[in-house]
Amino acid sequence: MNPETRSATPPAPAAAAPPAEVMVVIDDDYAMRLSCRQILTKMGYRVEVFEDGAAGLDGVARSKPPLVVVDLKMPGISGQEVIARVHELDPEIVIIVITGYATIATAVEAMKSGAYDFLPKPFTPDELRLIVGRGLERRRLQQEARRLQLERELLKRKFITFVSHQLKTPLVAIHQYLDVLLRLGDSPTAAEKRDEWLGRCIKRTEEMQDLIRDWLTLAQAEGGALTRHREPVDLGHLLQQIALTYEGLVSSSELALQCAIEPGALVVQADRQALSVLFDNLITNAIKYNRPGGSITVYGGEDAGEIRVSVTDTGYGIPEDARPYLFDEFFRVGGTAAPRTSGTGLGLPICRRIVTELGGTIEVTSETGSGSTFTVRLPVGSATPPQPGAQG
Amino acid sequence: MSRKVLIIDDDADFTEAVGVYLETHGYQVISAPNGREGLRLAKAEAPDVVLMDVVMDERTEGFFTLQQLRRTPGLERMPVFVVSSIYSSVPGFSITPEKSWLRHDDFIAKPVDLPRLLELIDARLNQAGTANASGGAA
Ligand SMILES: Nc1ncnc2c1ncn2[C@@H]1O[C@H](COP(=O)(O)OP(=O)(O)OP(=O)(O)O)[C@@H](O)[C@H]1O
Ligand SMILES: [Mg+2]
Repeated sequence: MNPETRSATPPAPAAAAPPAEVMVVIDDDYAMRLSCRQILTKMGYRVEVFEDGAAGLDGVARSKPPLVVVDLKMPGISGQEVIARVHELDPEIVIIVITGYATIATAVEAMKSGAYDFLPKPFTPDELRLIVGRGLERRRLQQEARRLQLERELLKRKFITFVSHQLKTPLVAIHQYLDVLLRLGDSPTAAEKRDEWLGRCIKRTEEMQDLIRDWLTLAQAEGGALTRHREPVDLGHLLQQIALTYEGLVSSSELALQCAIEPGALVVQADRQALSVLFDNLITNAIKYNRPGGSITVYGGEDAGEIRVSVTDTGYGIPEDARPYLFDEFFRVGGTAAPRTSGTGLGLPICRRIVTELGGTIEVTSETGSGSTFTVRLPVGSATPPQPGAQG
Repeated sequence: MSRKVLIIDDDADFTEAVGVYLETHGYQVISAPNGREGLRLAKAEAPDVVLMDVVMDERTEGFFTLQQLRRTPGLERMPVFVVSSIYSSVPGFSITPEKSWLRHDDFIAKPVDLPRLLELIDARLNQAGTANASGGAA
């Protein structure tokens, strides 16, 4: 570091090393307080000691320590009560009870009322260190679990809020069309607009149907229900079959679709319907986000012990900054590069879910402006059906 | 000259239905499918009122656009109604206009109650005073 800058700037505030955590010790025995303080200070904590329950509780309320060491037998407020009151303040505080031999039964009681563990007197510094370390670790794990739980709930809420907005949007459009038509009565404007608007209303109800269908499919895939009935499926054959069903859409979109399937059976152990949902989604995207005159290539082959299927299009491609979010629920690439298309943004999340359930991977490469390739890799399945019962 | 309403909404059907209704009530209607285009029209066309959706390409595009509009010299006081279906009073999922920094009466829930929309626009225009008074909506 430049010595000048160093002398010019005051030392950085505590940011470098966070302030040590405070531990609270409540014990009426002076020697006990002293040795606990020494041991815990050596562990790197700041220690506050109190000689009775009332003062100790004040200290806990003030310092909000992660851990409290408390003697069970004290004049004034009992250790039992201290435990209860500390947990009233914050149920996550770890409480370690110190007790004489004679009161093991009481110590057990204390643990029943929420203490984490107890330490019979006399104890060695190592014993206290061990128990404190374990207690803090458990607290960390609990907090972590709670954070994850909270995150999950938040995500679920966000999802529900989003679905309801996605359902409301077409409903609002339909409502507004019908309402205006009613209000316009048999005016010339109404006569002129009626058929077109009713057609639009039907389109919007279809949008809602799609959303509900995709939403259910996603839920199904998430529960594993979509991939439960596994059988050997020849992917080469299945892909050809799927491609056939797109002939009409492909030609009406002025596109060309070709299948490049390597010879030999490409067998995977999978649910036939799930595979159809998977490749339907990828091929539909390759059609939807393509341009007249473009093409779609479906490749299937075996590669390093895996079955590899890729769907390549010559469409708009996917901007690099959007790629990390492609498989997120409801994500759709915004902006102006590609024209607006309808869609739920659930297609790729469904694909990812199915592939994961089948023990495979899905990834995308793309060149903005010239096309994308979605590649699915699945474990090779054996051509003979599994023994009955092997399916769980 | 009739009053001009700018509808900024990414739902073309919503814009069409509400736009035609406003037209039959004597308003001139222009529209934009996103905030960027909306901002451009707000500057170029000097509408008397703006109806603005919230959730467009970006989740809060409407609020963002409104903020930009308010920072544009000359448009600070342009009457804007935020029109959205994001608001909900269901406990646990409630988003209310009071929670945002909007004035209560600047907010209109979707689906829009059309006669009420006319009233609100009228009231706002009359309130906006002589500076904007240039002619009649029916
Ligand atoms: N082959 C592709 N080329 C370009 N963009 C794509 C391609 N596939 C997906 N995308 C982009 O990723 C977004 C998410 O795709 P996804 O399949 O999840 O939803 P969707 O196609 O919008 O809706 P749905 O599949 O439910 O009809 C799309 O909106 C599109 O912007
Ligand atoms: Mg799709």
